[in-house]
Amino acid sequence: MALSFKVKAISRSRFIRNAFLTSIFILSFLLVFFSKSDYFVFNKIKSISNSYLHPITSFLVSPVKVISQLQTQFYDFRNLQAENNILKEEVMRLKKWQALAIHNNSENKVLKKLLNSTDNNLTLVKTTSLTSRNDFMYSKMININAGLKDAVINDMAVVNYRGLVGRTVDVSVASSRVLLLTDPNSSIAVKTVSNDNYSLLQGGDDGIHLVSAFNKDEKMPKVGDLVVTSGSAQIFPSNILVGKIVEVRNDNFVVLPFVDFKNIDYVQVVENK
Amino acid sequence: MVSKLLSSQTIIYHLILFFSFSLSVNYFINLEFINFLSYVFFHLTLIYLVFYFFHFSLIFISFLYGVFFDIFLIDFISPHLISFLVFVFLFYYTKKFLLNFSSSTISYIIIGITLLMFVSETLIANIFFNYPINYQNLSWLCFTSLIIFFPSLFVFSKIDKL
Repeated sequence: MALSFKVKAISRSRFIRNAFLTSIFILSFLLVFFSKSDYFVFNKIKSISNSYLHPITSFLVSPVKVISQLQTQFYDFRNLQAENNILKEEVMRLKKWQALAIHNNSENKVLKKLLNSTDNNLTLVKTTSLTSRNDFMYSKMININAGLKDAVINDMAVVNYRGLVGRTVDVSVASSRVLLLTDPNSSIAVKTVSNDNYSLLQGGDDGIHLVSAFNKDEKMPKVGDLVVTSGSAQIFPSNILVGKIVEVRNDNFVVLPFVDFKNIDYVQVVENK
Repeated sequence: MVSKLLSSQTIIYHLILFFSFSLSVNYFINLEFINFLSYVFFHLTLIYLVFYFFHFSLIFISFLYGVFFDIFLIDFISPHLISFLVFVFLFYYTKKFLLNFSSSTISYIIIGITLLMFVSETLIANIFFNYPINYQNLSWLCFTSLIIFFPSLFVFSKIDKL
């Protein structure tokens, strides 16, 4: 009797183990299978992990964050004298530009009135700070503290004072992740300022440059041309600065983004007007 | 079985795992070496835990860490999940054979598996999601693994004696 009970208990526990292993295997397979598609459940998992797990990990590593900030402050302090001199020269230069800009601005207003034109196609949704970065190993992503409660939704353009930063993905209630331009899986429709050469840009292998993946009309731009968003993909508003062409190859060209992705503090989430 | 799950050493190892996971998924631009160290240390700790404190729940824990690593570092699920689960399943089915080895041989197996995991994660990310193989990062990971391997084992042996 005791032996038969023992045999039953062992076979029962073995059954539970096998069922557990099978369910883990099936769940993993489903997650891997659906991870590339925009399934609601998968997005929900990402959103939950962003909302709940990310704040815990950020809190845990806050001492390291403080050390990192202290180190930055120390370096800044060490370079204070040299930076001060540079800034003095910059102020002189900017004063000259300011006078010119004020003159051009008033001229611009008059010309716009004459043409009866409406431009400035951007609407600011939210200005927000960067909370943490996830661009350590594979993907190039940052986290910002604006989410659904601030009217931020997926696929909104994110810019800073230098130009286009990326687009929002995985938006949760209070935070969002931004896929940077330099990610190999990001794709932006752009055009050159000088000759309206339309193409698609993707993140390069080095994680710094952008490489063109498709060129309309197969005509190549020149080194030094400025690249702006074309607005044709409906995600990014048109005419946002992206970067400058630094190399032209046989079948593609390389762009250096204007945004310094290692020094992002504040960003603006914008949308088409 | 439950005592093995809740022993003081196991709890310490799980705290180490969670802390190194937290450090790995929060990138510090000025202290990049901390990210590398914690990422490598997480892998070493997980493998050590599986070898010496194996419990059935570790399969589920590896599954969770795999999913969260993939979500935070890649935004798609696969590389970490697959490599963690393949390792844990392989260990589960070959543990009777593996645990016959001497402790020094097991140490070499641990470092071998760690390096193999880094390579497989990079390859899966490249094949499935088009992320380029970053040889510089990969060599940094291998180099860091080799450097911190013996100090880690020393720390682990101290924890085991608690």
